[in-house]
Amino acid sequence: MKSLFLFLFATIFSLTAYAQNELPSITIKDLKNKPINIKHEYAEKDKVYVFSFWATWCAPCISELEAISEYYEDWSEELNMELVAISTDDSRTQRRVRPMLNGKDWPYQVLLDGNQELKRALSIVNIPYSIVVKNQKIEHIFNGYTQGAEHELYEVIKGL
Amino acid sequence: MKHTTLLFTALLLLFVFSVVAQDQSINLQEDNEKESKYFGRFYGGLESNVQYYVEDSGLESAIVPEDQLRSNNYLYANYNYNKWTAGMQIEAYEQNALLNYNPKFEGTHLGIYFLNYKDEKWDVTLGHFYEQFGNGMILRAWEDRALGINSALRGGRVKFAPNYNMEFTALYGRQRSGFGVTSGDIFGFNADFFLAEYLNLYEKNQDLSVGLSYVGRYESFDAYPQLQNPEFDELTNAFSLRADYMWGAFYAVAEANYKSEDGILNVQNLLSDQSAKSGNAVTLNFGYSKSGFGLDVNLRRMENMGFYSRREPEVFTNFEGEPQTSFDYLDTFINFTPALTKQHHSLLANIYVFQAQHSVLFEDPQVMRAGETGGQIDFFYKFKKGTFLGGKHGTHIFLNYSNWYNLPGRYTFNPPDYDVDFFGRGNKYFSDYSIEIKKKVNETWHLGFNYINQYYDQRLLGGGDLVRADIVTAEATYNFTRKRSLRFELEKMWAVGDRQDWFGGSIEYNFNENLSVYFWDIWNYGSDKPEERVHYLNVGGAYRIGAYRVALNYGRQRGGLVCVGGVCRFVPESSGLTLNFNTSF
Repeated sequence: MKSLFLFLFATIFSLTAYAQNELPSITIKDLKNKPINIKHEYAEKDKVYVFSFWATWCAPCISELEAISEYYEDWSEELNMELVAISTDDSRTQRRVRPMLNGKDWPYQVLLDGNQELKRALSIVNIPYSIVVKNQKIEHIFNGYTQGAEHELYEVIKGL
Repeated sequence: MKHTTLLFTALLLLFVFSVVAQDQSINLQEDNEKESKYFGRFYGGLESNVQYYVEDSGLESAIVPEDQLRSNNYLYANYNYNKWTAGMQIEAYEQNALLNYNPKFEGTHLGIYFLNYKDEKWDVTLGHFYEQFGNGMILRAWEDRALGINSALRGGRVKFAPNYNMEFTALYGRQRSGFGVTSGDIFGFNADFFLAEYLNLYEKNQDLSVGLSYVGRYESFDAYPQLQNPEFDELTNAFSLRADYMWGAFYAVAEANYKSEDGILNVQNLLSDQSAKSGNAVTLNFGYSKSGFGLDVNLRRMENMGFYSRREPEVFTNFEGEPQTSFDYLDTFINFTPALTKQHHSLLANIYVFQAQHSVLFEDPQVMRAGETGGQIDFFYKFKKGTFLGGKHGTHIFLNYSNWYNLPGRYTFNPPDYDVDFFGRGNKYFSDYSIEIKKKVNETWHLGFNYINQYYDQRLLGGGDLVRADIVTAEATYNFTRKRSLRFELEKMWAVGDRQDWFGGSIEYNFNENLSVYFWDIWNYGSDKPEERVHYLNVGGAYRIGAYRVALNYGRQRGGLVCVGGVCRFVPESSGLTLNFNTSF
C-alpha cells in the first residue's frame, strides 16, 4: 500500500509541471437561479475579473467586500475590471445573502456556491479567498484578507 | 509508524519546492507553450493541520493524548483533459487524527476517487461524489474537514440538463464512513425546473422555480438480530417538494419534506420492533430587500428527521474511556439539518451554540423531544452617507431574532411514544437576540459594537443548567497606514447558570497584507468552581502569500462545541501548539 502512495505522490509531483492556471469549467447559479459558467461567462478579452469567496457569517470577508465597495466605483471607471462575490453559504445561511447584499448596498454580482463545488475545485480551504483572472487565466491569489489588502488588490489589477 | 510521519513531511516539503520551482519556470515555459501540445489541466490543493498537545498544570481537565503529535493532512488532486476529469484525495491522519475526530480516520489512505465526464448536457460521475438536493433536508453529501465530516457517496451519478431551464439528477451510492462505506444503499432522484422563461415572468420582473426530490435508503435487517417482526421496512423513502418565487424586491421560498416510517432508536441507541415513526419537515422563508435595506424571515418545523445510512450508530470508547457513538462524530448522516440562528464571530457568543434538534430523543420523563419548531428574523439597514446617523461613510446595522422550541403535544415515556401538534410550540430550547453595528468613522478608525442576549436550556440539550446570558462586545481598528493596522476587541458575558461570567479580549496586529499576529484571552472569572476560573490564552499569527497560507497558534482550547455553518463537533479541553498550512495548485 505504501509504495502505491509513493508512486501516486511521484506522479503528482511530475504532473505539477503541467499545472495550468486556468479557471475550471464549473456552473453555479446567480441569485435569480440562472446558471453561470465561471469559465465562459467571464471571458471578455483583457478584462480583469476578481472572484471573491465569502459567506454571510465570515467577518473578515465582509470587511473585505465592504472595503472594496468604498473604491469600487472609482476602480471600475479607471480599470477594466469587475468583482464577482461568490457566496459559499450553505442552506443554513444562504437565505441571508440577498438581504445582506442589499442591506450593505454592495454593487457586486453574487453567485451561490451552496454545496461548495467551485470552492472545492479551486481547493480553497479558508475564506476570504480571492482570485484575480484575466483572459481566463488565474493571475493572482489572495488567501485571506487583512485590513488594507484591498490596496494591494488594486495594484495587482492595475499591473495586469 | 514514525517513519510514515517523516515520509509525509518529506513529501510535503518536496511538494512545496516543486511548486515554487514551477512558478519560476513559468516564464521559460511560456515561450514554448504555443508550440507544445495540450496536456490537460492538473489542479488540486494541500492542507495540513498539525497539533502538538502539551501538559498544562493550569488547566485541570486538559487532555494529553498518548500520541502528543497528531496531524490531519489532505492532498486533493485532479487531472482534467477536455471533457474528462479524474480526481482523488489522499488523507493522512498521522500519528492519529487530532483529538476527538472520528476514530475511523486512521492512517494514510486514499479517501476519495472519481472519474467524471461533463459536456453541455450531461455530467456523469463514477466513484465518490458530493451532492445536495434542495436545502439538504433529505440529502447532503459533503465535506467539512474542520468538523471531520466527509459524507461523500461512492457509486454513480448522472446529471442531465436538456436545456437551461431544467435539470435532472439520478444517483446510487453507499456513504463514506472513515475510509470505507456503510452497508446502506442510497438511491436518489432530483428534478429542478426554472419556469420564468416559459411563463414569461422575467418581463413582469418575477421568477419562479420548482423542484422535487426522492431519496431511498435500503438497509437490510440482517445487522439487527433483535428485530423479529418490525413495524417498518428495510427501505425508507424520503420526498421533498419546493418552490422559489421572486417578485421585484420580494421573495419567498417553501420546502416540504417527508420521510416514511423508520425505526426509532432508544436511549441505548438500539432499534426495536414496535418503535417506528414517520418524519417530516417544513421550511418557509420570505423577505424583502432593496438598496440599503434587507428583511428576511425564516421559519421551520422539523419532526423526527434523523436520517442515517446505518440506522444504529457504532459505539467507540474515547480517550477518556467513555462510550461515544458515530453520531457524535457526525458520521453516517444522510441529510443536513443546520441550526437556523445567527453565527456570531465573537468568542464568548460561541460558548452556548444551538444545534438543530432533528431527531427523537427519550432521555428521561423530563427530557422527551421529537424535533424542533421556531424561526428567525434578520434585518439589515444602512444609514446612508451624509445622513445624521450615517456620517461621512455610512453606518450598518444588523438585527437578528431567533427562537427555537420543542414540538408541542403529548409524550409518554414508557412505552416511548408521542403525538405532536403541527402548530404551537413546546418547551423553549434556545433564543438569541442580537444587534450589530459597524461604523467606519474615517480612514483611520473603524468601530464595531455587538449586543447579544441568549437563552440556552441545557436541561433539554444534552444536560446541565438553564443558561441566560448577555454579551457585549466592542471592537476598534486603527489604521496606521493603508496596510498596517491594529484591531482590538473587548467582550463581556454576564451569565446565570453553568460557568457564569466571562471576560475576553483580543488584539490583532497587521504588519502588512501578508503577515498578521494576534493574542486573545477569554477568562471564566465568574465560575463557582475555582478550577474553572481559568484563562484560555492564545497567541499566534498567520503568513500568507499568493495561494499559500501558514498559521501558527499556541494556547488553550476551551472544551465544548466547535461549529462550522451550524453543525458542531465536540472538542475536549487541551493545550498545545497548532500549525495549519494550505495551498492550491
